[in-house]
Amino acid sequence: MATGLTMTESRNGGVCIVSLTGRIDGSNAADFTTHLNGLISSGEKSIVLDFADVLYLTSAAFRALLVATDEAERKAARLALCSLATQVRELFEMGGLLDAFTILGSRDEALARLG
Amino acid sequence: MVRPPELLYAVDESPPPGVLVASAFQHVAVIAITLIFPLILGEEAELSRIQFLDLVSLSMMAIGAATILLCIRSKFVGSGYLCPACYTAIFLGPSLFALKQGGLALVFGMTIVAGLVQVAIAPVLQRLRVLMPSEIAGLVIAIVGLALAALGVQYMLGFSAGRGIRQDYLVISALSLAVMVALNVWAKGYAKMFCVLIGMAVGYAASAAFGVLDFSAAMPPGGLAILRLPSIGYVHYQFDIFTLAPFVVAAFASTLRVMGDVTNCQRINDKDWVRPNFASLAGGVAANGLASIICGLAGSLGPNSYSSCIGLSAATGITSRTVGYAVGIAFILLALVPAATVLFAAMPPPVMGAALFFTAAFVFTSGLQIITARMLDARKTMVIGFSFSMAVMADIYHDVFMQAPAVLQPVVANSLVLGTVCAVALNLIMRLGVRQRVTMKLEFGQNNREAVEQFLTQQGSRWAARRDVINRAVFGAVQVLEVIGDPPGGVEIEATFDEFNLDLRMRYKGNPVTIPEKRPSPREILSSDEGERLLAGYLLRRSADRISSTGSETGAEIHLHYDH
Repeated sequence: MATGLTMTESRNGGVCIVSLTGRIDGSNAADFTTHLNGLISSGEKSIVLDFADVLYLTSAAFRALLVATDEAERKAARLALCSLATQVRELFEMGGLLDAFTILGSRDEALARLG
Repeated sequence: MVRPPELLYAVDESPPPGVLVASAFQHVAVIAITLIFPLILGEEAELSRIQFLDLVSLSMMAIGAATILLCIRSKFVGSGYLCPACYTAIFLGPSLFALKQGGLALVFGMTIVAGLVQVAIAPVLQRLRVLMPSEIAGLVIAIVGLALAALGVQYMLGFSAGRGIRQDYLVISALSLAVMVALNVWAKGYAKMFCVLIGMAVGYAASAAFGVLDFSAAMPPGGLAILRLPSIGYVHYQFDIFTLAPFVVAAFASTLRVMGDVTNCQRINDKDWVRPNFASLAGGVAANGLASIICGLAGSLGPNSYSSCIGLSAATGITSRTVGYAVGIAFILLALVPAATVLFAAMPPPVMGAALFFTAAFVFTSGLQIITARMLDARKTMVIGFSFSMAVMADIYHDVFMQAPAVLQPVVANSLVLGTVCAVALNLIMRLGVRQRVTMKLEFGQNNREAVEQFLTQQGSRWAARRDVINRAVFGAVQVLEVIGDPPGGVEIEATFDEFNLDLRMRYKGNPVTIPEKRPSPREILSSDEGERLLAGYLLRRSADRISSTGSETGAEIHLHYDH
């Protein structure tokens, strides 16, 4: 398990949901990238990352997300982020990265978009 | 200041004349409930019927002037918000004590002295902020809410010593309260805006039907004239050093309540409210002091800002300052109309109770919100918890507390005064050993981010800092550690705090962190480690309110400043 971060998988139809709990930073960003790339490589075509319980994320986490998004595009898979807490969303805004990802308000919205 | 979208008329906006008059009258009706305190004083002083009418009229005039003073927006006097005045139980205890010692003249004289104390406190209010931090202002608001609710229930059910619940009171107050709640929750427009006024009107009608409405008790012997100028024949002044202590304590408690109420006004009118504006608080306290002097001169009790009216403004969405001026003028004019004086003097207790209980809910919740916006460690939890408990004890074990020496009774016999005194005293005691500057050292090879998180969170709780600011500081520290890695010699983290600033300085041996002005593109971030470092610097710049990064032969330092 990555330090400070818990990743729990579940399914809803054809969508793989990864619930994230804790913080995503340099100490666990590599594990996070490996996990997401593993899902994409295994053939998952629709992945939702649920950020509801993420406390904060650092620059290393943003890079990990960009790597995963890039990988998903190359494998014709779709990746969406949902349920960002206010302080987490602010970090995406500060980094000017809101448009770099598909970000949806709730898990239901994400499932409707990807399902 | 960001206007909250739910407000119908914000502090600087003026409602149309019809809404202004109806809204002002609604506040007048709610404030009129507190005329009960001058009425109690009049009864205890055994005034004649005509003197009784004079007392009510003069009290109405004084509270009108007090309301205008509290609402004015100027450099030295006035809060600048819709913050009406009322009569308060805070001054009732000291006033009844003074009445026993030297009669009404001593009550009025010492009320003037209490006003002078508040006027003297106002200019140094900011220096006294250590005594009165935000969470204690929130506690005072919560206690006031609870006290209003308790008083409301007493009037609603009509019970007093040795008497059970009155069925007629129960029906009238339940009906009146149900109308207020239903209109506030499910109605829109005018019905929602004037829910309390409509509820009180329904209560008056029900009281008339049950035979509870009795104007004759307040009617002067010669009948009612259309207009009447009240006489100040019964008003004299006397001063006494023995009664000074209870009035000074009441002045301090009253000051804290004004601070709590004006803080609440600021919070209601600013979506992005984070901390009290002391200029507005000092203006409110100075106005309350002047209002006390006016009330003493006019022959009445000391006034205070009225939490119920602020709760009412939050419930109805009308927080316009103009409404405050209209309330003041309305009281001054109505004081000249004996019929209005009698109408207020004869307000049925179950109607008073329903209005008090309804507005108390908004006051109490507002106090809790102000407290919980701060991080509270064991020390602060005890300050808040013990003081709140003592305030409740003062009401539950009132008879026991009344056995205290006479000089202490004004403190221990009033829940608000006791809770406030406990909070201020405990806060000072609990500050012992809490340093405003703290450091932690991360040795080489022990770059433990969780320890940094824990260190800053614990300190935030000790300081009762804002949760959101501490969260940003935790992010900043962890992001810096991620960029500088695990430098030889380790990292020293120093945090300093006061009510307005949080500063984080991180010192280490190595190169200074690059803080770019331009954000890197997603492609730059993706393609190299340097792109990620630039993003880190850019996020640090954006998340802190000020940042600097310096380096020399002896080492590097990054300074993150957060406004608090």
